[in-house]
Amino acid sequence: MSAPNGSLLSVQGIAKRYGPVVALRSADLTVQPGEIHALLGANGAGKSTLVKILSGVFPADAGSVAVNGRTALLRKPGDSMAAGIATVFQDPALIPDLTFSQNLRISGLARDDVMPWLERMDLAHIDFDLLVGDVPLAFLRLLDLARALAHRPQLLMLDEITAALTTDQAEHVFDVMREWKEQGRSVLFISHRLGEVLAMCDHATILRNGSHVADFALAGVDESQLVTAMLGEELVEELAESAEDAAVETGTLTKAFDTPVVLEARDLRLRDKVNGISLELHKGEILGLAALEGQGQDQLFQVLSGDHRPSSGELLVNGKRLNARSPYDAIRNGVVFVPADRQQALLPQRSVRENLTTPLYNRVRKWFTLAGDEADRVDRAVARLDIDVRAGSQAQRLSGGNQQKVTVGRWLASGFDILLCFDPTRGIDIQTKAQIYDLLRELAAAGSAVILYTSELREIPLVCDRVLVIYNGRIVHEQDAATATEEILLTSAHGLEEAGA
Amino acid sequence: MTAVTTDPLASGTQPGWRRWLRRHGWTVGVWLLLGALIGYYSTLIPAFGSFQVASIVNSGAPLVFLAAAQAVIVIAGGIDLGVGGMLVLTNVTAARFMEGQPFLATLLIAVTIIILAAAVNAGVGWIINVSRVPDIVITLGSLYFFQGLALAVLPNPGGGTSELFRWIFTGSRRGIGSNPYPAIALIAIVILGLAWWLGKTRSGLSLYAVGSNKTAAYLSGIRAARVKIVSYAIGGAFAAMAGLATTAIAGRGNANTVGGNLTLRSVAAIVLGGVALTGGIGSVIAVVPAGLILFFLNPILSAMGVDPNRAQVVQGVLIVLVMMVTGLIEWRRRRTT
Repeated sequence: MSAPNGSLLSVQGIAKRYGPVVALRSADLTVQPGEIHALLGANGAGKSTLVKILSGVFPADAGSVAVNGRTALLRKPGDSMAAGIATVFQDPALIPDLTFSQNLRISGLARDDVMPWLERMDLAHIDFDLLVGDVPLAFLRLLDLARALAHRPQLLMLDEITAALTTDQAEHVFDVMREWKEQGRSVLFISHRLGEVLAMCDHATILRNGSHVADFALAGVDESQLVTAMLGEELVEELAESAEDAAVETGTLTKAFDTPVVLEARDLRLRDKVNGISLELHKGEILGLAALEGQGQDQLFQVLSGDHRPSSGELLVNGKRLNARSPYDAIRNGVVFVPADRQQALLPQRSVRENLTTPLYNRVRKWFTLAGDEADRVDRAVARLDIDVRAGSQAQRLSGGNQQKVTVGRWLASGFDILLCFDPTRGIDIQTKAQIYDLLRELAAAGSAVILYTSELREIPLVCDRVLVIYNGRIVHEQDAATATEEILLTSAHGLEEAGA
Repeated sequence: MTAVTTDPLASGTQPGWRRWLRRHGWTVGVWLLLGALIGYYSTLIPAFGSFQVASIVNSGAPLVFLAAAQAVIVIAGGIDLGVGGMLVLTNVTAARFMEGQPFLATLLIAVTIIILAAAVNAGVGWIINVSRVPDIVITLGSLYFFQGLALAVLPNPGGGTSELFRWIFTGSRRGIGSNPYPAIALIAIVILGLAWWLGKTRSGLSLYAVGSNKTAAYLSGIRAARVKIVSYAIGGAFAAMAGLATTAIAGRGNANTVGGNLTLRSVAAIVLGGVALTGGIGSVIAVVPAGLILFFLNPILSAMGVDPNRAQVVQGVLIVLVMMVTGLIEWRRRRTT
């Protein structure tokens, strides 16, 4: 086969299908030595599949891969490492029940191999005897990165590494990427954050529906051009229109809500994580929450969704005190939760329909079959969310975006008053994001109330009516969402400014 | 710039010994429980002495080895219902071929049996990999297969072994006496060696890795399929050790011993020893006292004047209590992190 001269990685015509679902039709990718190359595409475009094939997780059905001009057979992860490719996956590949130092050992590495990289990421003080299971996800990604770098790969593949990282952690990753590039080695970078892509990458390869659609040098390109290439012309126009509608809608909604308060928190506390949070949520309102990683938002949602009892403080739903012992109590009172991690919400081996009806089990009166009315609700939820049910026999076969739609759809089918969304669009493509945000606005217009925590600050003015910023378990900032710029939110999220605009 | 209040990566304010205790508390606890039970037993028996100690250690040895076999496989994310069958099969095979042989020949036969048992059980692991049938189903099959094979090897109880071979496992040429040291030394060497391999070497840690998170292990370049085969091979070798110990103690083989019961006791022992049935967690060093305790309950209860048939009730309650305590510890740990 003829690899272009001197390219580090040359992928041609890779195809992969899972049963009836075609994940990749024909993917081409060429990475030169000493470049940072972006792999872009909407969810379901086949990026993750391509990364997994290049990592040797599973073999391709067709096509060829060449590294340094030599054909490489990637049948297992070891083959890929031997060929000089190291990957940091979205779910860190570290063993939770072993210490960090034991994790290095099973990869055949010593502390000294990773130490230079840890130093560069300000993690040199790490205790190597910590159990990996006790380390928060953001740090795990960085540890996994250090481990990948220690193998000194020719090509480093980073799959959505910056999702869930704080700004300064992401900066460390960028520093490392730049250094890797200076050493004449390459990085394949996958991110939904186009700003990062434009700032860091030299070239981009774009996949759409499992096929290679474009390659470009990124100098002088702007975000809208990338989006156009990723989604195709027509979709972009559609999205732009709906974004305009959204702007108008939010504009009209930005007023003090005079609708009744449906959820009220009074001085909620949970150990040292939630330090006295009080808030009011009105009917028909979307309340945004912004915070850096680990500021108590996880625990706040656990309390609100009935998963954890607060150490003190009280929670009122529709003016009535809610003393939930488990999510069951919260759900019965109309408070439902959409987690960031789809795995916490889905029954992966069961069908999409079954997943959608799970919350209905509590009220199935006629045993054995779901009543016709309930089957209708499921159909409506599938249609409303535009869920791709081709792979419907098992929810785990769906793409991440479709899985997230199912986690929201479950509640549509069963009904609710208050929807708690914890970063529902993490690692999801623009198109699905737009659908989910549209849906939230529609639900609010129909009288539901929504609390939305999102790690993507720029989306807050688009979706929310009001925004609260949490720092160190306290609310440090409150304002109308329409005027909440990324700068304001970031500044207060770092706890640098006690009272904002 | 970011005001970080607590650093999740630093070793923190906890002193080292507290963390050591948190991680190894279970092991320490099971050893202390064994010590306490022996202490209590010595007050029940007027003539408590080296004979009693020897009888506990010698007779408990097969269960200790069998529990170690089960522990290795469970740590790697499997479960082997066949270990009891393997014990019976190796017990009768040894008794049949060792009868009337000189010491060196019996030793050679023992080594051969261990190697064969490892190879056969590796085959069981291989079948699980290839067929993708759950471990519990395939090894239910291997349990009956080994048991049936044992009856074919030695239809009636009998056979024998050399006196010196009996001494290795029991400290006595007749299989019964008051010298516990050879058995203690044998258990200590074999189990410490196994623990060192599991906890310190790359190949041993791979077992924990696969049992803890198979996907992450695979992505780290570990060959999960190979690890499963290795864990079953080592399990087979340790089940053979248990079978050989049984031959040495009894001086003969008995294919009528019910292997399934032995398997269940091995599972009970690893649960008491703190090995997580979900894989990835546990120490073979804690499995030793756990196996001895389970064996030891019978003599204690009979010394207390309890009907031996009730001993099983106590064992059952003990296992459930242990599981409840494990659950409680895990719950508290999750609350504090």
